[in-house]
Amino acid sequence: MLAPDRTFARRDTALFILCVALSVGALFAPETWQFAMASSARSTALAPLIALQRRAESSRTSRARFDVLTAQRDSASVAAQSLPVLLDENHQLRALLGLAERLPRPLMSAEVLHQALPTDGRTLLLSAGRQSGIVPFQAVVAPEGLLGFVLTAGSTTSVVLTWAHPDFRASAVTLDGSVTGIISVTADASIREPMLELRGVPYRDSVPAGTAVITSGLGGVYPRGLPIGTVVGVVRQSEGWERVYLVRPAAAPARVSHVLIISAGTVWPGQAPPEDSLP
Amino acid sequence: MSAAQTRRIRFSLVMLLLVGLQFYVRPRLGNPRVAPDFLMLGLMIFAIRSRPGAAAFAGFLIGFASDALTPARFGAAMLANTLVGYAAAWGRAVFFADNLLVNAGFIAAGVWLRDLLVLVASGASGKELLIQLGVWSPLLALTTAVTGVLVLAIFRDWLDIRLEE
Repeated sequence: MLAPDRTFARRDTALFILCVALSVGALFAPETWQFAMASSARSTALAPLIALQRRAESSRTSRARFDVLTAQRDSASVAAQSLPVLLDENHQLRALLGLAERLPRPLMSAEVLHQALPTDGRTLLLSAGRQSGIVPFQAVVAPEGLLGFVLTAGSTTSVVLTWAHPDFRASAVTLDGSVTGIISVTADASIREPMLELRGVPYRDSVPAGTAVITSGLGGVYPRGLPIGTVVGVVRQSEGWERVYLVRPAAAPARVSHVLIISAGTVWPGQAPPEDSLP
Repeated sequence: MSAAQTRRIRFSLVMLLLVGLQFYVRPRLGNPRVAPDFLMLGLMIFAIRSRPGAAAFAGFLIGFASDALTPARFGAAMLANTLVGYAAAWGRAVFFADNLLVNAGFIAAGVWLRDLLVLVASGASGKELLIQLGVWSPLLALTTAVTGVLVLAIFRDWLDIRLEE
C-alpha cells in the first residue's frame, strides 16, 4: 500500500495543492502573462522538441498526403489557366481608370505542428515565426479557405487563433455581396468539425442554403474574398430583427497540415483601391 | 552502479523514448486527434509506480508543456494533468493494477478524464463537448491504451512494474 508514512502523505498533499494552486493561477492570469510564459517555454525548454516535430512534419511523405497535394496542384493548375486572361483584363481596366498597379507582397508558408490536446484545433502552432516575417494579426489561410489570424509570434514559432476558438470573430459577406454579418463559432458541431454561425443578418434578408460566405475585408485583419464556408440553414431568428445562419466551414483546423500567412497590407483583387488613387 | 540506480536510469530512458515518440513519430501517425498521446502515456506509467505528490508534479510539468504548445486556454492542461496524475497514483493503490488489461483500462480512463477536464476548463459545451467526449476522446484513449500495453509488455522489467503472467 502507498503512504505508510504520514510525513510522505503530507508532502504529497502539499505538493498536489501547490500544483493545483499554480495551475489555477495560470488559468486566471492576465493574457499577456500567459502568452509570455508560453512563448518563453517554446523558445527555451521546448525548442528542441519543437525542432524535432518540425523535422518529422517536413519529412512526412505518406501516400495519402501525396495524393491530396497532387489533387490540390491539379485544381490550382486548372484555375491558373484562366489567370493570364484575367490579369490582362485587370491591367487594361486599371489603365482605363488610371489606377496604380498592385504592390506584390509575399505570402509566407508554414507547417502546422498538431498537438494531442482536444483543444488543438482552437489554436494551432506553426513552424515559422518572426524570423520568417510573421507578426501578430496577419490572416492565416488553408488551401480551402480562412483559418484565423496570428495570435502571437515567437522567433521560430507562432500561434494561430482559428475560427474554432470562442473568441474568434470576422466580418463576412455572401459571395454576391448582398448580405453582411459577423462570423463566429457555434456550439452546434458536426461529427468532423465545429460549425460556424453568421450573425447579425437583417430579418428582411434571407440567405438560401448553399450560398458561399467570404470575408468582407472590413476590420483590417482579413482581406476581402477569403472563403469562409457555405450556408447550411437558419439556426435561430429574433422576430422582426435578425436571422442567424449555420455555416459549414471551408477549412478544417484539426486536419490542416500546411497554411499560408498573408502579410499585412497585401492587396487582393477584390479589395477597394486606396482613395488617393481614384481619379 | 547499484540496482536502484540502474532501475532509475532504465526508467528515465523509457520516459525519454516516449517523449521522442511524441514529437518525432506521432506526427507521422495520421489523424492527430486519434494518434496515441505518448506524453499522457508517460504520465500514467510514471503515476503507476510513483507517489501521488510526484505524479501530480509530473502532471503539472507535462500540462505546462502542453499548454505552451496549445495555448487555447492556458492553464487548463496543467490543472487537468495535475489532477489526473494525482488521482492515477492513488488509483493504483486502490486497484492493485497488476493485470495488463487493467493497466490498459487505467491508461484509457486517464486520457479520457484529462480530455474532459481540459474541455470543461476551456469552456467547451453543447454538441461540441459531446462529440469530443463521445467520439474523439474514446478513440484517443483506445490508441493510447493499446500503445501502453505494448510499452508495458516490452519494457516491463525496465519499468519495474509487476504484472500477472
